[in-house]
Amino acid sequence: MKLGPFILRRIFLSLFVLFGLSILIFLLARVVPGDPARMALGPRAPQEVVDQYREEMHLNESIPVQYYYWIKGIIAGDFGKSLMSRRAVIDDIKEYFPATMELVIFAGVLMAVFAIALGSLAARYKDTLVDGLIRLGAYFGIAIPSFVLAVIFVLIFGYFWPVLPVFGRLSYNVVAPPTITGLLTLDSILTGNWAAFWDAIKHLILPVTALAIAGIAQEARITRASMVENLHKDFLAAERGYGIPERKVIFKYLLKPSLIPTVSVMGLDLAGMIGNAFLVELIFGWPGISRYGIMVMLRKDLNAISAVVILFGAVFVLMNILVDIIVAYLDPRIRMGNVRGT
Amino acid sequence: MKTSRFVSFLKNGISLVLVAGLLLGLSLISSCAAPSAPTTPASPTTTTPLTPSPTPTAKHPSIIRHTDTFPANIDPAIGTDGVAGRSQINMYDTLVFPTKTGDYQPWVATKWTVSDDGLVWTFDIRPGIKFHNGDELTAEDVVYSMNRLIAIGEGWGYIFRPLIKETKALEKYKVQFTLNHGFGPFLDSLVRLYIVNSKLVQANTKPDGKYGENGDYGVEWMQTHDAGSGPYMLKEIKREEHVLMVKFPDFWNGWDPNAPEACEEITIMDPSTLKAEMARRNLEISDYAQTWETYQALSKIQGIKVVSFLEGGMWMIMLNTKKPPTDDVHFRRALAYCIDYDTVINTIFPGSLLAEGPVASNTPGHSANLPKFNLDLEKAREELAQSPYADQLDKYPVELAWVSEVPDEEKVALLIQANAQKLGIKVEVKKIPWLTVVESAVSPETTPNATVVLASPAYGDAGVFLEMRYHSRATGVWSQLEWLQDSEIDSLIDDALITVDRDERYQKYAKIQEKLVDLCPSIWLCQQVMLNAYQAAYVDWYTANGQACPLMHYNHYYHDFKVYPDKVPAP
Repeated sequence: MKLGPFILRRIFLSLFVLFGLSILIFLLARVVPGDPARMALGPRAPQEVVDQYREEMHLNESIPVQYYYWIKGIIAGDFGKSLMSRRAVIDDIKEYFPATMELVIFAGVLMAVFAIALGSLAARYKDTLVDGLIRLGAYFGIAIPSFVLAVIFVLIFGYFWPVLPVFGRLSYNVVAPPTITGLLTLDSILTGNWAAFWDAIKHLILPVTALAIAGIAQEARITRASMVENLHKDFLAAERGYGIPERKVIFKYLLKPSLIPTVSVMGLDLAGMIGNAFLVELIFGWPGISRYGIMVMLRKDLNAISAVVILFGAVFVLMNILVDIIVAYLDPRIRMGNVRGT
Repeated sequence: MKTSRFVSFLKNGISLVLVAGLLLGLSLISSCAAPSAPTTPASPTTTTPLTPSPTPTAKHPSIIRHTDTFPANIDPAIGTDGVAGRSQINMYDTLVFPTKTGDYQPWVATKWTVSDDGLVWTFDIRPGIKFHNGDELTAEDVVYSMNRLIAIGEGWGYIFRPLIKETKALEKYKVQFTLNHGFGPFLDSLVRLYIVNSKLVQANTKPDGKYGENGDYGVEWMQTHDAGSGPYMLKEIKREEHVLMVKFPDFWNGWDPNAPEACEEITIMDPSTLKAEMARRNLEISDYAQTWETYQALSKIQGIKVVSFLEGGMWMIMLNTKKPPTDDVHFRRALAYCIDYDTVINTIFPGSLLAEGPVASNTPGHSANLPKFNLDLEKAREELAQSPYADQLDKYPVELAWVSEVPDEEKVALLIQANAQKLGIKVEVKKIPWLTVVESAVSPETTPNATVVLASPAYGDAGVFLEMRYHSRATGVWSQLEWLQDSEIDSLIDDALITVDRDERYQKYAKIQEKLVDLCPSIWLCQQVMLNAYQAAYVDWYTANGQACPLMHYNHYYHDFKVYPDKVPAP
């Protein structure tokens, strides 16, 4: 009943977080060495052209005045023009963000399915060979960075046993569906282009797996630990006492409350993945927002840097709110009104 | 007991999910391993096959795919490097076209004349050339292209901005350029004037731009469209990802039946992905920025060869001649004798060629037989002894900068540091990002004593390169960290550049090069050799056949390639 006000309050507070982030990133982007106008126009552009460009982009103004122009634009939905692409940053974001979202959504599904399944399995067969193997696998999964996995996958599935595509989102000979959402799989379904759908799925397998493995390992361990901790709680003994089947006890009464830490960490992992996927995107030639973010930073594309960081921040905030909602669903204490206690 | 519980657990839903996932994965892998069927287009309006196969059974498309550096600023008034340059030469035409010998042949211009004072150049335009939308190319388009390039001032605009006084169309097929001052290599420079379709660009110009009545000069539209008449027309562009061009059937210069139907510039930044894509024949040509080891690995794949060629780039150490101790010529020469040039060309930049003075040997106007520096510590000591800094080396350390984005440069820096130390010269090696190099070039005080840099000419003329590198008016940018500011060199370059007669001009260039070697404002290390791995089994590339063009980008003029899809090696 009190979930609504709780979420509204979180959204309201998040606005302050984003505002603080906007100031921070705006300042940081401007203290990095290098003249952005010179970078955009090239070292041989005549000085008068550079000066004109600086004026056009308000780069001659003081930092507070620049910030004023920038934040005014953002409130109106305008992130300004990219210094490099000469078009609205929002257009760049529209082009690259869906590609990363598609990766993250599939990675999220993979993480949720396998982490919960493996964690449950390990908890259910605690201290057996099954548990040991899963824990060992989890250690490897956590220890090996996703970009290392990506390179290994490319070499195995792209070179030695070339069965999966290792570059881009679609094969050359496949006609892309018209852009509706930017998610190729979804757009393919919406337009009935099954060849593109199947091809897009094949292109997703390796990058998604490379991204998801660390999360699967991490969340499987958390799920296991949480389930093991709850395994001998009184409420489970009571369920068993009532003669409820063990499978139902495990999955209805043990798994559900044990998922709270898993969901919390998974939410942050997924949000972080949007910004941290750049090496995987780079290796697989994935035209995503994460790679774009790194590229604009290297080129000191001020408006684009700020927009990308704000976007990543907004995704974090939204993901946190989403996690709160899911946790509230999983934890009856929140639904019963013990909001502040959480 | 435990086993039986585990077996029972297998029956539950989680196990089913795992098994289903496994089966799905296996089915995907097996379907991927199978040859893919031709794809059915989604809708008739958007599905023109990009590369129709020559035979129904041929699976491989007739295409050249090449990895390149992005982003793609394909507007000929904006972009100059990497993918921009290669896209422009394939989508646009120029008045003249470079030959493989560094000379120029008629192209859009059929003939030309120059006034006696070298100030007025008149060109006859070839009638009947079609732009990609069917419009005819006329003198008005040349005028518009030049005015647009100069007004925008970016890209190659710096070449023409100080040079062109007026461009006018005398007739429908006759255009005239009037120069502000004599400029011998004007003809050479025209390979950077890409002719755009004026009507098309004007139709897509935003009226509220910063170029007065020309609005935004079509800058925004030209970022994602082409307005050219070249052999390939833009099919799709994603600025950070790829540029796909398809054959323009009405190209005025005709087509070889085996010319590629399409060409694509793509970005592959990881060597393992590059290797996999080349092995799978999804990529025809690599970029030139891979490590030696990667090229070695690629050359071992069946059907792939590594080709090397020169495009005029030179690795050098630019010495700040306005900052002690490198302001002394003897000190500079001493440093030049401290370098093991053999190590540079054999170990640090394998495959590169020893520099032969200030200009690359394949750049027209290069002077052969110039005195060369070599590793000779005795000579270095002799030179150092004549330097006013010889007795106070501790007080004057040499700040030697290398660009952090190019790790091999550090090896050069360490090489010179080690030998200089033997002479008592203290070299402080400093790693700086490219941005900082660009910024440091604004004044002699902020420019390091020495900086390892790669520089290339904009087009094939030694004088233009010498002007960029050593003339006083070219200081303040990264390409002249020497701050030479030598009035004699300035006047020699000016005099040479206004000389229209090529032989006479080249003789003047030779004198300048001799003088520069004597002044030693730079340590010329080696000539950059471009290495590209390519699919020799089914691609016929003129550059690999000894027909390399000395001009940057022009070794990727895809019209002159040939592709044989039926010769693609079996997997």
